[in-house]
Order: sequence, then structure tokens, then C-alpha cells
Amino acid sequence: MATLTVTQNFGKGAADLSVYKSLGGYSCLGPKLFDLSQFELIDLVTRSGLRGRGGAGFPTGMKWSFVPRNSPKPVYLVVNADEGEPGTFKDHVLMLEDPHRLIEGMIICGWALGVRSAYIYVRGEFLKAIETLNAALKQAYDAGLLGQNIQGSGYSLDIFVHRGAGAYICGEETALINSLEGYKGQPRLKPPFPAVSGAWASPTCVNNVETLMALPWILENGPAAYQALGTAKSGGTKVFSVSGDVKRPGVYEIPLGTPLLEFLNSPQWCQGVLGTLKGVIPGGSSAPVLTAEESAKANMDYESLASLKSMLGSGAVIAFNDTRSAVGMLASLTRFYAHESCGQCTPCREGTGFADRILKAVVRGEGRDGDLDTMLDLAANFSYTTICPLAIADAWPIENFIGKFRPEFDALLGSNAGHADPRVTSDFRPGAFW
Amino acid sequence: MSNSYNWPVLPASDSKVVTIVVDGVEAKVPEGTNLVEALKTIGIETPHFCYHPDLPVAGNCRQCMVETEGPRGMALAIACYTPVRAGMKVATDKSSENVRKARKAVMEFQLANHPLDCPICDKAGECTLQENYMAVDRQQSRMREEIGKRYKGSPDHRHLDSKGQDRGGKHVDLGPAVVLDEERCILCDRCVRFMRDVAGSEQLYIADRGDHSFISTFPGQPLDHEYDLNVTDVCPVGALTGKHFRFQQRVWLLSKTETIDPTDGLGANIVVEHHDGQAWRIMPRRNPEVNKSWIANSTRLAYRRLSEDRLTSGLFGRSEVPLAQAVSRLGELVRGARKVALVASGHLTVEDNAAILAWAQILGPRAEVFGGSWLWVGAPDGLARSGDPVPNRSGLELLGIPDSLDELRARVGEFEVLVVVGNDLWTANASKAATLEKIPERIALSSWSDATVQASDLAIGIRAWAEVRGTMVNVRGRIQLLNAAPILPSPDLEPAWQVLSTAGKLGWTSELDAFRFAQSRIPSLVGLTYRAIGPQGRILAGAES
Amino acid sequence: MSHCHTKVDQPHASEILPKLETPKVLSKVEELVRRYPVPKAALLPVLWIAQETLGWLPQEAIRWAAAKCKVSPVHAYGVSLFYTMYKKEPTGRFFVQICQNVSCHILGAEGIIAHAEETLGVSSHGGTTEDGLFTLLRVECLGACGNGPVLQINDDFATDAVDGELAMPEGVALTAERFDRIVAWCRKRASELPSEPARDALGGLFETHGHPGAVAASSEPQKQGYAPAPPALGLAATRTESGQVKLAWRAAPESSLLHLETRSGSKDFEVLATIPGKDKDWTGDLVAGTEIRIVAQSGDRRAKPSNVVKVEA
Repeated sequence: MATLTVTQNFGKGAADLSVYKSLGGYSCLGPKLFDLSQFELIDLVTRSGLRGRGGAGFPTGMKWSFVPRNSPKPVYLVVNADEGEPGTFKDHVLMLEDPHRLIEGMIICGWALGVRSAYIYVRGEFLKAIETLNAALKQAYDAGLLGQNIQGSGYSLDIFVHRGAGAYICGEETALINSLEGYKGQPRLKPPFPAVSGAWASPTCVNNVETLMALPWILENGPAAYQALGTAKSGGTKVFSVSGDVKRPGVYEIPLGTPLLEFLNSPQWCQGVLGTLKGVIPGGSSAPVLTAEESAKANMDYESLASLKSMLGSGAVIAFNDTRSAVGMLASLTRFYAHESCGQCTPCREGTGFADRILKAVVRGEGRDGDLDTMLDLAANFSYTTICPLAIADAWPIENFIGKFRPEFDALLGSNAGHADPRVTSDFRPGAFW
Repeated sequence: MSNSYNWPVLPASDSKVVTIVVDGVEAKVPEGTNLVEALKTIGIETPHFCYHPDLPVAGNCRQCMVETEGPRGMALAIACYTPVRAGMKVATDKSSENVRKARKAVMEFQLANHPLDCPICDKAGECTLQENYMAVDRQQSRMREEIGKRYKGSPDHRHLDSKGQDRGGKHVDLGPAVVLDEERCILCDRCVRFMRDVAGSEQLYIADRGDHSFISTFPGQPLDHEYDLNVTDVCPVGALTGKHFRFQQRVWLLSKTETIDPTDGLGANIVVEHHDGQAWRIMPRRNPEVNKSWIANSTRLAYRRLSEDRLTSGLFGRSEVPLAQAVSRLGELVRGARKVALVASGHLTVEDNAAILAWAQILGPRAEVFGGSWLWVGAPDGLARSGDPVPNRSGLELLGIPDSLDELRARVGEFEVLVVVGNDLWTANASKAATLEKIPERIALSSWSDATVQASDLAIGIRAWAEVRGTMVNVRGRIQLLNAAPILPSPDLEPAWQVLSTAGKLGWTSELDAFRFAQSRIPSLVGLTYRAIGPQGRILAGAES
Repeated sequence: MSHCHTKVDQPHASEILPKLETPKVLSKVEELVRRYPVPKAALLPVLWIAQETLGWLPQEAIRWAAAKCKVSPVHAYGVSLFYTMYKKEPTGRFFVQICQNVSCHILGAEGIIAHAEETLGVSSHGGTTEDGLFTLLRVECLGACGNGPVLQINDDFATDAVDGELAMPEGVALTAERFDRIVAWCRKRASELPSEPARDALGGLFETHGHPGAVAASSEPQKQGYAPAPPALGLAATRTESGQVKLAWRAAPESSLLHLETRSGSKDFEVLATIPGKDKDWTGDLVAGTEIRIVAQSGDRRAKPSNVVKVEA
């Protein structure tokens, strides 16, 4: 049985403080934490090899080390619970099952950075998770685990829940900060980076829910033990959300480095693929899709997937069998990204919609030769000209679905009798278009 | 703060100069500024939409891509947000295929959902979209009818056109001065930044998201601000246009004359744009030391008065007479008088007022020069107005003409003849001016048939501010040039200094003669020429800033 | 809904303000404004409260929220349109949202949506039934993909109606049949309860001391120096080619001074040298068998000693 560092309290009612404590919770709130200097704690987290679990995979200890510890401005911790990446639902379940672990992790992170006020930005669709968090916070305050001078340590922390209102782009850290500040969730130009100037022009650390929830175990068991659970370059475990054509979809915590097919087929985890596997999206909809052959070579860690030109991302695994249409999958994704583009910068704002409308025309049977190449060219163009990676997240599915399942797309083109006609229609006359 | 809305650091005359490498060639550019400005100083134009030197940087159009060297080799970056660092390597479209590709790509995206309104759009001919397309793209569109465009506009203004297409707002009445054609908007955010960060009144915002974002006021609330027409300047396309200019003239027909705002002592730099002998609009001229890129609405609309109520002849009482006749009568009356009061005007140029002084000098103790204004003086608005409605008050002070209208009223009995030159006293304060009606012979030189002309026995039409060449000094002691636009309502009209020279037999043939006389009275003008003053003006020595 | 393409009749301010300017709402607004350093940041939560109170967000409510958060009305308007969950027009009592994104798509979302359109008789792009009970909307990923295709009724996830409750049991996926059961549950509820109070949009807002320095807040800023002073870590010694000893370590940027202490035999540690806190290494002559440690100092606080290293021969 694999060691669990984050999901070990699932199904035990740990949302209640007394249950959480009886399972060993909040044991870090004592000498284990209070005797550590900020520097040591950050060093400890760095040595554990913990990387951001939201999708970017940035080394957490390094991110923390960028936050100045002598700033006259307050330091903010903002928890990214805006889980919007299609296929991802692990943070949703983590917050419902074990909110106190998140609070404990936030206290640890807050101690390291000198945070006084922290915000949990939860996407608006997760109202039950917000209710669970607020109830847990109230319990924590009442028990003296939050607020002014926690347990006589001299450290004070307030945690507030902030409800989002429906925007995938708010998962990007600077867009999250803008949304927190009361603006539209539009990403910012970088530099400055949030660690230097983030929320309210103050040093800010944005961390994912799962990343923070790993901290109590790391503090309890030591960084070396956490590192040893994974691979040399990807220490620890990761929580994956699995959906699609598997027998038992759900949230699973597995050691990094586990082979993908073992993960999908193992009786202790997803218990097998339904039908014949056609492909797997390994890390959320933005991650380049893997064919069945590529999936056989993949291990669930950052390096292995990167070497297959995909990514671990948010850890959302969507498996699909050969009855599923790659065209339909891509169409749902291009529609999604066009809908979620924040509209700030030109290439993404206009390009995602443009690519989506081309695919819609192809699906309707009005596609022409060259349309797919136009889509690929547009995707390439909006990959390197934007402010934030949302457009790249659209470009990768376009490039990989068309690239790896091209015959399906070509077949649709063929269904249009006029697919070989040049750009203009047969009743073209100047001015007819507009 | 939402986004990094920081003011751009602009090159200054005392900026430190550093060496960078541009397209493989070393270049010296000012340090600390952004690459758009730095490349401009060495003659390289970078196409852009959302960047503006007088607005905070937004970096959203992505058009100004260049390549700069980073830890992983040359990488694309937007020039408007990349500061100059000594030794940096930059590649523009001249040497980099990546830059050319990126600029073309962005251009295609800008045009993807843009309506083909050029034939009916006021901005055609000065449209940044047209210019940048010609500069970087020139490719055929890949849009097709089946793919369709997504036109921008608020749900309140959406409609179906004759082909059944879902269209956005066209000619939306945004406010008393501005019209919004929503579909044309490229969401560069300049108007939002202008209203919020320059005008100080956030009345515009980009609402919604993605390619259904649109620019809007709060529903039902008009865009209304003394400076709101500046949004039509900063708008790179024809989305925001002025009602006063809509469908009036094609901009490529317009000729430009650079001159100075006649309505305020700050002397905002403007351009009078004219065609066929008529002024069609006024646009601001950028002067970082005076008005940046901005002018108030009342300045912008001041061209209208140039064709209203003009006095184009002489008037004996109510009867029209040829100008030449009126001018010689002026000379007779003044020479024949025992005592004559000459009233100078801060609404006229230094040259015009120099002529008054020159004539007074010849007339000796029989003539006295008075000056001043009864117009109310307000406070500076921090943008393009000082609050003083008299544009050349400082010029009069330098010429030594006193602020003495009330003294004139007190000594009214001493004078036989009153000559009011370009100063509409009867409109400024009719009850005070009524005292001056005790002077038996009243003569007015004016561009308009105004109340002062009505109250005079002899009136002589003169050229208006946009029709003269000369100088004025603003409230900060900056001397600035006015130029003459060829928009005379009548060919016989002459500048005030010319009329006075003829009547007073001064023998002057050009405004330079007047300027030379002014130099004899104003030491700080000595050694200056019009060329030395230049289009941005010049602070006079000894002037308070 | 999310991007409303129809013009909506707007109620007048006089109809709306009395419902918003109640003690209950105002105390919530006060608590929210207390939680952020500037009132502007309370805008999203205040818009939620207005929507909870009125059922949707008319323009006058947006103007009210703007005033409460000290932003311009057009800012609040633009922000409210950016986010899809702020309703720009009233919806039916049961807001049926069905995910159309990739994972739910391959598990049959389109089929469920078609079935929903047929059963309810409205468009899945925000259509509302004539009896005002249901509004149907296609939405994007709702973050519950393991139970796909995913459906939400108002704020509740549901794949079935079981024992009189909406639920999303593990392993139970939405089918046309289960959808019909859910709709039946809704109709039954509507007939039994003509109206019900709105769900708390902020999920249980409770009173706090707020953010230090915020309006009506009473919390104090963080005390400096709550944590121990940072020690030097990972001290290691190596021999250079010339036979000297080179020491290397990791010290915190905020260390001002580093005291190199040595001990031979059983004596106490004594300071050999004090070097600037920024230094990362030190080279010098040390006798084999000497024990070394570093005591870092930040300001006037000394940290605990680093690990001890013994110089090899």
C-alpha cells in the first residue's frame, strides 16, 4: 500500500476539528514549527523536492525563497483553489474531505513567509467546499489555532475565503491576484513577479491547495522521507484526478514515477480501461494528448511526460477509448478556450475564437482543404505572442489532436463536396462577405 | 494594482546614453526608457496600438514585438515593456524573421473580427490599423463566410444586419461629443486609461471577456467630460470619433497648420486642419512641456467660431465700407485727436501689440496705451488649461503694457478717441464697458461682429488667431509660434499689426518688423528668431517655470 | 446567461435599494470590507451578496455595490460582466447547468443536453421554461469530472435524486432516466415549497477582526521577529590544493554577521573570525581535528549554532 501524504484522511470525517486532531492533525503547531526559523523551514521544503501541484510544477521552496523577508509591506498568501483545468477535480475533493489539513499547511507556509493575512480563492462553482472551509475555519479560530498570537508563538494569521465567480483564467496566478483585488481576472505583465509585487503591490505567494496540504506530512516526517517517495527529480506523491473511460474514475494519490498504464489498470486505483484505449490526456486539457502507444511509455512524473512532449500539469488524467471522436474532443476544447479567454491581449482574444470557428465549420461539413493547416498556423501564432499561457493551452490540444489523429479530421473535410474549392464561394461577389 | 499600469519612462534631454546593439549594429540610446522610445530616437519605428507615451503601459496589443537576447538566446518580447539595458542585443523586423512573423501574426488577429468599415469610417487615412497592416502584413485574409466574424458590441446594441449576421453597435451615441462604433474597437484600453489616469474620471471600461468584450460606459450614463474628445485621438481606430467631425472631411484632403490654443493662457499646442479655405477640425500637437497630447473640448471646437459672425469689412456706424477706407479713417481720427486711448489685448499676438506701442511712440504724449481683461480667471486643471482665458497676458506684461482698464474707466473724460484692438470688452463686462461710452469717438478692430463692434462708431475687420503668423507667451513664460492657415473669409483682411502700421504710417511689411520692434522692448527676445523658437516653443530667460 | 445577448428590463433603484440596505446585508458588507486592505477588493463578494438578495444582478444593484466598494460604477459593471456566474437576467427557480467540456463530452454530455432540451422544451443556451421553474445552460468544466457527465442544480451537484435528496453518489453517472428523476424532484419541491430562502452565497461568512488597517478592522499587523533567528545550514569543509581548509555553508540573506567558532579538544567553542553575513565561504588554515561551527546573527539576535564539522587530516 503506497504511503499517502495528503489523502490519508479521506472518508474519515476529518472536516471536523476533533476528528482531524484525533488523526494526528495540527501536530505541527508546536515546537516542530515554532522552533524553526523562516530560513530553515524554506530550506527544509526545498530539500523535500516539493513542486507546485497546480500545474506549473515550480519548486515550492524556491518560490518561497523569492519572497523578501524584510519588506515594509505585508506579505500575502493566496491559495489557488480556482480549479478550472478541465479534467481536474482533486482540489475539490481535498477541500471537502480534509479542510483542516489545508489550514495547517497554510499556517506552515505563513510561518515561513511572515504572512499575516491569507486568502483562499475558491472558484464560484464550489459552494459546498466553501461552506466546508468556512466551517473548518470557524472551528480553528474558536480553538485558538488562527488569529492573533497563535498558541503563544507570537505569530498571527487570518485566513479568509474569497469566492470566485466563474472564470477559468483566474487560475493563472496574476489573474487570481487581480480578481482578488476586485478587478477583472486578467493576467498581469511580468516582471514584476508576485513574490516581489503581487496583491496590492505587496509580496505575494500563490500556492495550490494540494501543494500546501503536503506540508504537514513533510514537517512531520522530514524532507528526505518525502523526497524518497517519488523519483530523484520529482519527490513525493501527487494526487491525480482520473475521469473518462476507466472503470473507477476518482481522486488517487500515487507516488510520482508510477507508470501510466499501471495507474489506469491497477485494482487498487482505476481498475482498468473501458474498451480499447485510444489515447490519454495526462495532465489536464492543456497537456498534449498521448496516443495509446505513447501512453505505454509514460510514467507519471514531470520528467517522463516532458520527454514525451507532454506534461504532468494539474494531474488530471482523461482516458478515452476508440469509440470516442478526437474531433469532438478537440471541438469541446477549442470552444472552451475561446469562451474562457480573458480578452486582454489580441492573439488569444481573437485567435482562440477564430480557431474555434474554423473547427466548427469543419464539423458542420463546411471545411475546406487548408483549414486544418490554417488552424495549426493560428495555434502556432498565438503560442508565443501572448501575455499568459492560456493561448498555449489552446494551441497544444489543437496541434496534438490534429497531429496525432489527423485521419479523423481529414475524413470530415472529405464530407464537404466543395472541400477542394478555393477560399471563395461559388456566388462570390465583392462585398458579399461583410 | 490591476496589471502593471506603469507610466512609461520617456527619454529626457539629460538622459544617460548607453550603447546597445540593434540588428547587429551598435547604437547609442537613452537609458531607462522602453524600446519603442529608444528605437524611435535612432529612427526605427515600431508598429504598435496600445502604447502611448502619455498613458500608462498596458502591453495588450502585442504588436510591438522585437527580439532581445536572454539566457536562452534571442526571445520575443514586447518593446513597450522592455527597458533599455546597456549592452542588450535587439533584433527588429529588419534582421529577424521571427519578429516579422510575430508582427504579421498579431496583425492578422487584429483584423480577424474587424468590420470592413473603411469606406464609411472617419479614421481612414490616419488609422493605425491601416498603417500597421501596410507596414507588417499585406496578406490576404483567411476568413471565410462559413467561418464568420464575431463582431464586438454590447448586448444592448446588437442587431441582425440585412444578411442575417449578428452585428455589434454602430454609431452609438456615447455622449454629447463622442460617437462609438463598437465593432471597430480593438480593445487596446487606451480610452479607459486616458479617462481614468489622465482625466481622473473613470467613465469607460472594457466589459465582458474574450472576443465578446466591448467598450462601455455604465449603461445609461453618457461619456461627458471637458477632455472627453481626447479619447478620439488616442483611439487607434475609428471606434471613438467626434460628432463634430463625423462624415465632414476625408483626412487626406486636410492640410495642417501648426498654431496655439487661443482660448487659454497655457497655450496648448494645436493643429488647425483645413481644406478648400475652410477649417474642418483642430487636433492637438504633442508638447511634453505644455499640454502633453491633450486639449480641452472647448479648444478643440474653437475652429467653429472662425466662420461665424466674421467682420470682413469696415463699418461706419451700421454701414459697410471697404476696409482700406476704414483704415485711413482710423489714421485720420487718431492723428486729429488731442488725446487718444489705445487698448491692447492679450488675445492678440506679441506682434500686434508691438504695433500698438510703436504707434503710441510716434504719437507721443497724445496717446496712452492701456491693457487688461475683464474675463474671469479660473484655476489650472492640470491638463491643458491654466484657467486664464487670455492667451497672451504674459506677452503684454513683457511688453510693459499695464493692466489698467479700470484706470481708463476712471479717466474716461480725458480722451477723445478710444481704439480697442482685438479686445471684446463689451462682452466681457457690459456694465463696466458702458463707462467707456463716454469717450466720444470709439473705434474697434475685431475679427467678429461682437458687442464691442456694436458699441463703436468705426469698426475694422482683422484676421483671426488662426489666420495670423506671430508669437504669444504663455503663463509659464514660454514663447510659442502661431502660423497662418489659408482660411480667410475675405482676402482683404489683414492682421491687426498691419492695419495699425498702415493707419499709423509705421511702414511695416511683415510680422518680422513687428517682432523686431518687440525685441527693442523685451530684452529676453533679443537674439531670437522664429526658427529658434521652433514648433515646441522656448522658455524665455528669466521666466518663472 | 453568462453572455447575455438579450436586452433585459431593468428595475428602478427605488425597487432595489430597500432590499439591499437592510441591517443584515449591511453588516455582511461591513465584514467584507473589513477583510481587505482596500474596499475595492470586496467587490466580488459584495456582488455575490446583492445577487443572493435579489436573485440576479440588475444594473442598479451593480451601482450599489460600486458605491459600497468605492469604485466607479462602470468598473463594477465591467467586472460583473466578466464573470459568468453573475446573472444579468433572472433565471428560473432551478438553474440547471450541464457541463459540455471534454471529459463529460466523451461520457455522453451532448446526449443528456439534448434530452434536457427536449424534456424541458427550452434551449440549452440559457432558455427558461414558461412556468419559470427551470433555466437550462451549457457550462464549462465544473470540477467534478469523476462523476461525469456533471450537472448542477443551482449550487448543488447532482447525478440522481435519491431518498428525496439531490446527490452525486460515487460511481453514479448521469443518465436520461436519472435526469428525469432530478427534474421530478425539482417539480415536487416547487409544489411543496412555493418559495425558499436563497442559499448563502458566501458559504457561511463569519465575523473576524479583519485585515490590519482596513475599514472597521481591529487586528494588528504581524510582529517582527516571531520566528527564531536563521542559523547557517549545511556547513561542510574541504581541503584546497594548497592545503588550506575551505568552509562552505548556506546562510539566510537576512544574516548580518557570521561567527566562525572553533574548538579543539574539550575546550569550549571560541570565535575564530566574524565575517559579513553575505559571505558564502571562507578559506583559512585549520589544524586537523579542529571542530568548527557557525553561529549566524541577524540584527542583534543570535541563531542556534550550525552543524559541527571536524577538520580531516
